[in-house]
Amino acid sequence: MHPATEKLVTALSEQSIVLNECDYAERGYHFEIDLDAGRLREFAQCMLEQEMYLVFVGGLHVDPAIEIIYQFASYDRLCRLVLRVVVDSNNAIPTISDIYQGANWHERETRDFYGVIFIDHPNLVPLILAEEDVDLKPLLKNSDNIKESAAVRWVTVEEQPETDEKADTD
Amino acid sequence: METAQQNLEPATDIPHDNRYYLNMGPQHPSTHGVLRVLLEMDGEYVIDPQPVLGYGHRMQEKMAEHKNWMAFMPNTGRMDYAAALPYNHGYVALFERICGIEVPARAEYIRVITSELNRIVSHHLWIGAMLLDMGAFTPILYTFDDREQVLDILEDVTGSRLTYCYFRVGGVCKDIDDNFVEKTRAFIKRQRERFDVYNKLVTGNIIFIKRTEGVGVISLDMARRYGVTGPVLRGSGIAYDVRKNEPYSVYPKFDFDIPTGQNGDSYDRYLVRLEEIEQSLRIIEQALDQLPDGPFLAKVPKKLKMPTGDSSFAVEAARGELTYYLVSGGGDIPYRLKIRVPSYSNLSVLPELCQGMLLSDLVAAMGSMDLVIPEIDR
Repeated sequence: MHPATEKLVTALSEQSIVLNECDYAERGYHFEIDLDAGRLREFAQCMLEQEMYLVFVGGLHVDPAIEIIYQFASYDRLCRLVLRVVVDSNNAIPTISDIYQGANWHERETRDFYGVIFIDHPNLVPLILAEEDVDLKPLLKNSDNIKESAAVRWVTVEEQPETDEKADTD
Repeated sequence: METAQQNLEPATDIPHDNRYYLNMGPQHPSTHGVLRVLLEMDGEYVIDPQPVLGYGHRMQEKMAEHKNWMAFMPNTGRMDYAAALPYNHGYVALFERICGIEVPARAEYIRVITSELNRIVSHHLWIGAMLLDMGAFTPILYTFDDREQVLDILEDVTGSRLTYCYFRVGGVCKDIDDNFVEKTRAFIKRQRERFDVYNKLVTGNIIFIKRTEGVGVISLDMARRYGVTGPVLRGSGIAYDVRKNEPYSVYPKFDFDIPTGQNGDSYDRYLVRLEEIEQSLRIIEQALDQLPDGPFLAKVPKKLKMPTGDSSFAVEAARGELTYYLVSGGGDIPYRLKIRVPSYSNLSVLPELCQGMLLSDLVAAMGSMDLVIPEIDR
């Protein structure tokens, strides 16, 4: 492991944040982290201090609640990590756009597509969608095709369920 | 005399405000497509530039959730229309990895050769368009002449000139022949001779230097906070390139450099892209020399099932890091496909970068980012 990556792992462990190491060859990133919304900003601050850059912020609509996905990576070493944070019962989550200014647009886009409110965002107005489509939320799943959060989590090849043809038909 | 001097003093008692709003775009020639920048201006100075996106939005990510993942292939070439092949590459490579498909060596070489040709084409287009933005009409005539040479080569093998859909899971859809190799070698020779023209016309041009030097300086800290990648980042002296830092395909087999700038201004971004053309030529040259025989497409089952879970694949597109992030619930339709495009993050620095600039400098700074709007809007 790269010394800077070790430092990052230590820094996160000190804040008692649990990192799951992933097989990069299978999934294309090294660590996955599930975090409470309350600790998101502290985590983002830590990422900035560890010299990680923000790759993207995106949403994922699963049952029971929308998950916000953050990916961070490094300019000087091979280290990529994915963070998942579940929104609260009001579909809200704190903004990190004052820590990572690049998140400003990603959060606005996520609000466009999912209707998630980013608390304390300086300018949460439509970015990609037109103003009249403010309630469209195009990436929300409907009750027929929404899956449980656990059903879209990684399982190793041996644990893969048998092919389920029914789920595939559109 | 006294009264005349009094008249020259600003009339402070009359409320006066030089602030006004100016819409640059969505049809402005230097926004290259339908981007609008809402500029709050004070005279000729930009107080607050805010890009307004979405004019070319097609909801690609929603389309990806609605069809068999192979059927999304043509869409990948319709985001970054100036360099579509790296978009093909990232998409097929993602599925090859999660489904455990071996790609024949020849196919990987063909992918690298065509992707690098596509990168050169994209940089040709950029150099021409950037100079055009700044009022120099001639360079685009030269770069487009060179660009046409490559487009002809790529058209022969891919069947299209712009929105390529050439890669397949397991390889590419058509093999390259001797004619392709011959024409590509001829192009490499020709392009090397043309650098001299570029240098005389652009690199040493005093007007170009005065317009771009010290304009739009991006620092490492700013880059990190916004997630800037690609030549825009490398212009600031950071040698981050996915082809080197996170090697994929057969890139590790080739000897090439990652050019970087020193000052992080628009001029450095020009130098970086110019040098990248040479580095791409080096990669293509080596790949042609080592090109192995064998199949160009692996035997792939007709119905491929994705394993459950999420995975990510990054490639170096012509404008920076392109990441496909896939969430699969099994089956053959993606549950969610997030497409992280480089221009989006690169453009998001604009309000901070161009605050307080002259309007003409904003054109030079924005032009140096090499924006492709359909990629940003998706």
